[in-house]
Amino acid sequence: MTTFDVIIIGGGPGGYVAALRGASEGLRVALIEVEQLGGTCLNQGCIPSKTYLKNAEILEEIEQGKQRGILVKDVEFSMEGMVSYKNSVLNNLRMGIQSLLKARKIEVFNGLGLIKNSQEVEVISNNEKTTLSTKNIIIATGSRPLIPKVDGLENVQYHTTDTIFDLKTLPKSMTIVGGGVIGVELADVFSSLGSKVTIIEYSNRIIAMEDEEASKALHKKLHDKGINILTDHLVTSVSEENGCKMLVVEKKSGEKVFISSEELLIAVGRTPNDSATKHIDLVYNGAFIKVNDYLQTNISTIYAVGDVIGGYQLAHVASAEGLTVIENILGNQKKMDYSIVPRCIYTNLQIASIGQSENDLKSKGVDYTVTKYNLFGNGKAQTLGKKDGFVKVFTDSKYGEIYGMCMVGPYVTELIGQGSAYMSLEGTVYEMAEMIQPHPSLSEIFMEVANLSIGKGVH
Amino acid sequence: MAREVVMPKLGATMEEGIIVSWLVNDGEFIEEGDPIAEIQTDKIVLEVEAESSGHLLKKLYDAGSTVKVHEVIAYMGEENEAIEQTENFSESKDNKLEEINEQEKVRKTPAANKLAKDNGVDLSLVSGTGPNSRVQKQDVENYLQQDTSKITPLAQKMVQDLKIDDKELIGSGQHGKITKKDVLSAVTKTTSAQERESSQLKKVPLKGMRKVIAERMSESYYTAPHVTLTTEINMTECVILRKQLLPVIEKETGYRLSYNDLIVKAVAHTLSKNKALNISLQNNEIYFYEEVNIGFAVSLDEGLVVPVIENTDQIGLAEIVKRSKEIVANIKNGKLSPEYFENGTFTISNLGMYAVDSFTPIINQPQSAILGVGRIVEKPVVKNGEVVINSMMQLSLSFDHRVIDGAPAAQFMTDLKENLENPFRMLV
Repeated sequence: MTTFDVIIIGGGPGGYVAALRGASEGLRVALIEVEQLGGTCLNQGCIPSKTYLKNAEILEEIEQGKQRGILVKDVEFSMEGMVSYKNSVLNNLRMGIQSLLKARKIEVFNGLGLIKNSQEVEVISNNEKTTLSTKNIIIATGSRPLIPKVDGLENVQYHTTDTIFDLKTLPKSMTIVGGGVIGVELADVFSSLGSKVTIIEYSNRIIAMEDEEASKALHKKLHDKGINILTDHLVTSVSEENGCKMLVVEKKSGEKVFISSEELLIAVGRTPNDSATKHIDLVYNGAFIKVNDYLQTNISTIYAVGDVIGGYQLAHVASAEGLTVIENILGNQKKMDYSIVPRCIYTNLQIASIGQSENDLKSKGVDYTVTKYNLFGNGKAQTLGKKDGFVKVFTDSKYGEIYGMCMVGPYVTELIGQGSAYMSLEGTVYEMAEMIQPHPSLSEIFMEVANLSIGKGVH
Repeated sequence: MAREVVMPKLGATMEEGIIVSWLVNDGEFIEEGDPIAEIQTDKIVLEVEAESSGHLLKKLYDAGSTVKVHEVIAYMGEENEAIEQTENFSESKDNKLEEINEQEKVRKTPAANKLAKDNGVDLSLVSGTGPNSRVQKQDVENYLQQDTSKITPLAQKMVQDLKIDDKELIGSGQHGKITKKDVLSAVTKTTSAQERESSQLKKVPLKGMRKVIAERMSESYYTAPHVTLTTEINMTECVILRKQLLPVIEKETGYRLSYNDLIVKAVAHTLSKNKALNISLQNNEIYFYEEVNIGFAVSLDEGLVVPVIENTDQIGLAEIVKRSKEIVANIKNGKLSPEYFENGTFTISNLGMYAVDSFTPIINQPQSAILGVGRIVEKPVVKNGEVVINSMMQLSLSFDHRVIDGAPAAQFMTDLKENLENPFRMLV
């Protein structure tokens, strides 16, 4: 029996990236995937949602074209066409992954991976079992939508991200339970497409984990779009009548609201897939596999990455974790560093953050300075007609160290990469102020906010 | 202009090199980087390369010659160029043409040039320490090590603010780049060391008794060549004797007889018959003492003192017990009268009350010998072909080999062993 250097269970961004790097480093790698390569990110998450968000953006821009002197008549939208286009994007990307895996001579097994012990993994496919031998195992089995316990929910047809991207027709109305990243992004999509959308969020604000000002800005944007946002509300029961989903929603104060919609999307979070680890004694942290700084489980040759270990539950974090594990398998003893992780919300008022948030700094008692620059003063933003937004930088006053940044506005999910570069290279706000940015560009806001931060504001 | 070819310094310790062979004839054209000669250092044979293209004008040494580093071994230049003229020219340090030329072209050894090329170092940024500021290989190595770009801007600001020498930091970033973490780590280490110093370490100047002990111990250790002999004593008879004499002596003196008293008695008795150890070397004169005055080390909080029982060999065991106990009591009560410490001729250092079996004591100068006493432990020993349990003790005799030879020292130990193993004889 062939002994692999590493068997990776899960072909998502944590698993396949680890497989590619491992093979590049000369490891003999096997990758086991029970569904489609690409994981949640490619198939039910980042990629389909961003494809849909682009459609939403196009529709919004057409709508706003009138202000710019562009008159478009007879704009038609096809749900079927949108799904089809999304599927073509997904197919292209999956084929790309397949080609890369093949080119690196990674053995891909389609089936359910089951860890038998620290050296053996069983692949179950079409009732056939194959046992693979290995020196190391990476659990990258990801997560699935978390379904909350709500009276009557089991008796109604509802969607999760597993099904919502394959809707054949556009619903007239949709209730989204959960005002987190998934909830607000899909609210933006379906609202732009024409659905009447309601968001129900238990916290006192949407995207509660992000900057409060950013949260307010997005709330306003979504509200202005016509999205009904109920914060501080909890769904207490669901029923279905005449194809309509009837929700009883209770405000924290006790007041009840009744909401009816054609479709219901549950987007309250994700729970880890633990199917691979039933036969081994792993230590868990709640529902998530517990790992150390080197992403090792309590069994030293078994590692875990991505959603299955909790934390950020972001594709790029899973990939970074996968790469870190490969370094550790190669004996390089690398700790996973979560201090500079970009966090993006791709709604059509984008939000992107990196490093520590203001809440983090406050709760840690860090002495920090916050400097805010509004996008309104940026020439490029004006030309784009997207002048809502701002950039906030959190710094220390002594060295100008950049603790974190929060950006709201067009393309900030791209711009935040510049923040990654500043912070990763330990550039301070002084270097940020000195860097020459192209004009006109949105990038100029980095230079502006940095100069403002050191008392040398230009505009 | 003729250019010098010098004996390169190919290593930090290289002082000179041997020209193994010339690879180019006089007048021959050489391309830049081509080898001119083979040089042997104390370790390897290497080639000297041409720093620029040109003709080899003149070799100054034959193959086999030994030449100091940085010495000119040949000249290169244009075909048929006169050397004398250019030698003068190059030696004219204030000549402006020379300065212009030096600015345009960095003077460097071939080894430095190669190392710089391999590492992508701009030689104009490297300070040369060779003759005429010629860049040596070591200069390039130093430059590579001191690459100041290997620090993040944030770490740089912290280093400046905290006045830390970044050369002492070990970078944990990409390719050894110094990061904030490295600076904080260094600060934490320093702070914790300072905290330890302030909270845990107490600094007391070396003074008083401790200073005297320190000086005398090191003086003794470094001036007198110490030899230490060890032997094991069967103390079973001493144990019996002590048990028998305890009530007798206590009744007579009011003090309890200790093993140390028995050992003092035995040493005095043995020393009186081995006077070769009862001596002292002072100012190149050997003092042979008639009196046997045994000193015994007493530990105090402030240090160590060695009171003396004069004429120890002349007094009985009960008197030894009495004197030693009185002296110790007085000393511990702060009565450090000088007369207690005078005229010692031999010292006993007894650590038998501790978990110490044997040790090498340092001679109490100006005496020439000291006996170290370990603890008494019950051990299985072979006696008349049978294994029995006996009380055993180890003794170590350190003696000054300048004035005492091994044989008399060994004889002393033999006699002492005999006396301690048959202690009743001493009382006769």
